Amino acid sequence: MSLFRSEEHVRRWTARHDHDVGAILDLARVWRLAKAWYSDPRARDWRARTRDESQAVIASVGLSGEFWELPR
Amino acid sequence: MAAVDPVALRVFVYDELLERGAPPSLGDIAGHFGVAANEARRALAELRIGKTILVHPQTGEVWMAGPFSAAETPYRVTLGRRQWWANCAWDLFGVAVIVGATVHVDARCTDCGEAISLTCDPEAPPNDDAVVHFLLPARRWYEDIGFT
Repeated sequence: MSLFRSEEHVRRWTARHDHDVGAILDLARVWRLAKAWYSDPRARDWRARTRDESQAVIASVGLSGEFWELPR
Repeated sequence: MAAVDPVALRVFVYDELLERGAPPSLGDIAGHFGVAANEARRALAELRIGKTILVHPQTGEVWMAGPFSAAETPYRVTLGRRQWWANCAWDLFGVAVIVGATVHVDARCTDCGEAISLTCDPEAPPNDDAVVHFLLPARRWYEDIGFT
């Protein structure tokens, strides 16, 4: 997941490297995703999420559809 | 020989990361838990907690401990004199969440290399019009975590 100055820069970079454009998110959405995704692993009761829990976190910030579907 | 408690090992890895900006070496882990280096390596390799802590396939050292990278990346996060490397543009916000404080990020546009400086407050969304590109769909994120 790479940072770009703007969508135009994403399109220029993907064209130059012969990649398809994936998904472009603004920083506020990625911030919300990180807030929901990460908790402090120094907590003794921390545990890794299951696949379905991770999928629910992704959905909680409004990301759905095939692109956002984690492997089963 | 005493086994290394996996919870204590996870906490130690992150405590060291937060404090020093780098994960503990196998030698540090062995010293902290009073075990041989090969036992430290085995304990780390068996710490299977999703994709959270990944070890380097050759050296057995911590390679990444999400959202932190052991190696330098394009995403440098600082708080005062402390510094960390985030794995990617998503993870730099994860560092702010785990550090629990407003951090500064020095990054660059992946296309043109222009510097992008961000202030990341764990309690408020960033105020910058940069964007994040997810090149791969979620089903492929874990095929090659280094590339992702």
